[in-house]
Amino acid sequence: MKVECLGWLMDVYLRPDGTPMLWLIDQTGKRWLLRMHLPVTFYVTGGRADLRQAWRYLSSRSVSCERQDRKDLFRGQCPVMAVTLPDPASAQAVYHDLRRNFPLLDYYDADLPLGVRLAGHTGVHLLGQCRFTTDGEQILMLSPLDSPWDLDPSAPSLRILEVELPDDPHLSPPAWLDLRFQTFRYRLSLEPLRAFGANLRALLSRFDPDVILTDYGDTWLFPFLQKVFPEFNLNRDPGMAVAVRPARTLFAYGQVLYRGEQAFLFGRWHIDRRNAALFGEIGLEGAMELARVTQLGVQETARKSPGAGITAMQMLTALQEGVLIPAVKQQAESPRTLSDLIRADRGGMIYQPLVGVYRHVAEIDFASMYPSIMVQANISPETLAHPDAPPGLIPRTLTPLLRKRLALKQRLQTLDPRDERIAGLKARQSALKWLLVVCFGYLGYKNARFGKVESHEKVTALSRELLLQAKELAEEQGFTVLHMYVDSLFVHREGGLCREDVAPLLEAIQARTSIGVTLEGIYRWLVFLPSRQDGRTPVPNRYFGVFEDGTLKVRGLALRRHDTCAFAASVQGEILRILAQAEDPRERVADARVLVQRELQRLSRGQIPPAVLKVAVKLSRAPESFRKPGPAAQAARLLAERGVAVRAGMRLHFWFTRQGVSVDMPAPSMVDVDRYARLVQRAAEEILQPLESPPPVPFQPRLLFVPLPVHPLAPIPEGQ
Amino acid sequence: MGRTVPTLTRQLNETEAALQGFRRALRRSDQLLLDALLASARPHLAAITASEMLLPFEAALLAMLLEQSRRVMLLEQEVQHLQQEIALLRRNHEG
Repeated sequence: MKVECLGWLMDVYLRPDGTPMLWLIDQTGKRWLLRMHLPVTFYVTGGRADLRQAWRYLSSRSVSCERQDRKDLFRGQCPVMAVTLPDPASAQAVYHDLRRNFPLLDYYDADLPLGVRLAGHTGVHLLGQCRFTTDGEQILMLSPLDSPWDLDPSAPSLRILEVELPDDPHLSPPAWLDLRFQTFRYRLSLEPLRAFGANLRALLSRFDPDVILTDYGDTWLFPFLQKVFPEFNLNRDPGMAVAVRPARTLFAYGQVLYRGEQAFLFGRWHIDRRNAALFGEIGLEGAMELARVTQLGVQETARKSPGAGITAMQMLTALQEGVLIPAVKQQAESPRTLSDLIRADRGGMIYQPLVGVYRHVAEIDFASMYPSIMVQANISPETLAHPDAPPGLIPRTLTPLLRKRLALKQRLQTLDPRDERIAGLKARQSALKWLLVVCFGYLGYKNARFGKVESHEKVTALSRELLLQAKELAEEQGFTVLHMYVDSLFVHREGGLCREDVAPLLEAIQARTSIGVTLEGIYRWLVFLPSRQDGRTPVPNRYFGVFEDGTLKVRGLALRRHDTCAFAASVQGEILRILAQAEDPRERVADARVLVQRELQRLSRGQIPPAVLKVAVKLSRAPESFRKPGPAAQAARLLAERGVAVRAGMRLHFWFTRQGVSVDMPAPSMVDVDRYARLVQRAAEEILQPLESPPPVPFQPRLLFVPLPVHPLAPIPEGQ
Repeated sequence: MGRTVPTLTRQLNETEAALQGFRRALRRSDQLLLDALLASARPHLAAITASEMLLPFEAALLAMLLEQSRRVMLLEQEVQHLQQEIALLRRNHEG
């Protein structure tokens, strides 16, 4: 019997037999898992002889081919061989087979994420509202009812089951699990195992959750459950097994990163809060917003870097406009001279600040500077040589994203601070911000399908020019520019300044650059710190200050670092709160020193709970390649002795003790008090010492008084 | 994406390292002056980068000169100020 429903598309995946499955929730709250017919076409171009052979090869395997004219982003309309298959899985198999046999041909639209393909085919996006007709097993009709760019998308009410562990299970096997569902709370003991399994099954079937939020679910709980109950299926779709992606260490953004094993579910989502890159900041609302605009599943967006999302968005734009999507990047960097390379290969403008303590400083920020430049200046790989061309693929992809984020930000400003919608709007706004942050980097990424490094460089060149224009305008209006950092500038005027004083400057910058600027705030005072290695050298990103409303902003101090123990970070935080009460931070240095002494005394008396003395260090390389047994290497060795697989990029937690290092929480009497005291003192001096010394740059008065050695002439011997 | 051109900070560090032989042969007092001279270019890294010169140390030398000029100017102001005070004191003394 045919049924027509209104509902929301929650996820889409392939069954092992290649059938596309859709998970939907209808308006009555019923959960549907339905098959869908989703034919796939991919395209092939290349040399005529190779293409003819490929055609014959496919015909012999009863695959239908067709000659078509399609649009290539760089070459315009071109003839292609279109290969159509009944479902995505067989299309993947044919594509890989063809590529293996005909590696010299170019392939397009061959490896798109399933969500992107579905959105291109039906117009229905993930988390979007839709109308569907079904016979109970198969989708017969699917049509969209909203757009991913709607500001207030409707969403179904989700059943969320949270699973928490008492401690890090890699250090000590937990004795129980805490489960939370709405107002229900359960503590399931892991012993005896059989009872635990029966209870867990009963709770899963009673609540039938849509989302399982765990701590250590990826790296411990799911592998543990699979080991002890191999027949237990946590999926809602009984035709699927839990998908496990192995752990890996990667090098990205100049850092060694470790991604633990990942466990994906089908028909419901599993998110491990401890193994999801952005989840701490954007939460479930943010991950859903990312899925809505990128067409990658929520389990992916919660775990992956937003770069994959930007690529998926570009793919969907291309798919909707009939532009071919290359399977591998085809545009190489154009050759150029050394001097051109030196001129072009530079990042954003980064000034060296004038070190010292300043009162009344305004921070002015360009709003979403890089993506705005990309849209305003029509920067896209295919428009590089034709600036007057119609908007390119990248600006077309980014424009709705920029608009939506701006609208969310504007809505946030109009809401009452007690409004309960604020947290969700902030999470969604923040999720979109991350997409905008990475969209620029992806222009130059070596594997970006539509990337070209010259377009990346053009963005930074324009950003430097805009910042210099802003600097000139500020100086024309009598401000001193204390600092500039990529998309923000800090200005100051003797005798103080208020918001009204800065308004004409904001208007002038906006009028000159055509990019939105906002006043981040006026600092009551702001301190730019010098380098820790050389007090004469200013550094761009070490400063702290307090805005007029008392909010602190801190960059580059110990409390911002992941490897600072909570105790040292809290002492720094307390110092800053004391300083923030004054009109000039130097007035309260003595009070801050009293606080530091008090905390050091508490430490020496053993009154600091060891839990806040835990240090977290990320391993920069494999444990066996450490030549000197530093604390991180010692902790790695201790963990390895317990059977934990320690790999580069992992964050290790340990304590400094009298015996060296411990990966278990020590008794207060065993803590290495001297070492923690040094850490606290260093954290305190980082803030207090510069406030007590005169500004060291730019004149170096100390060195003017370096006594020159006196070499008195030897007395001339008499008689000569 | 990896940078193909080394950063300016790295280029200046390399140039300073290459000057170690020169520095070593200087007297201790002169070594301190040289260190201060080289350090005085650092606040102008952004401007040196913006010069887009093939040999950025030339722009760094200009930044050092700029800081020297600033110091000369400040000292001139101070001398002028002191001269005025002396003249005032002298007038008071004579009057």
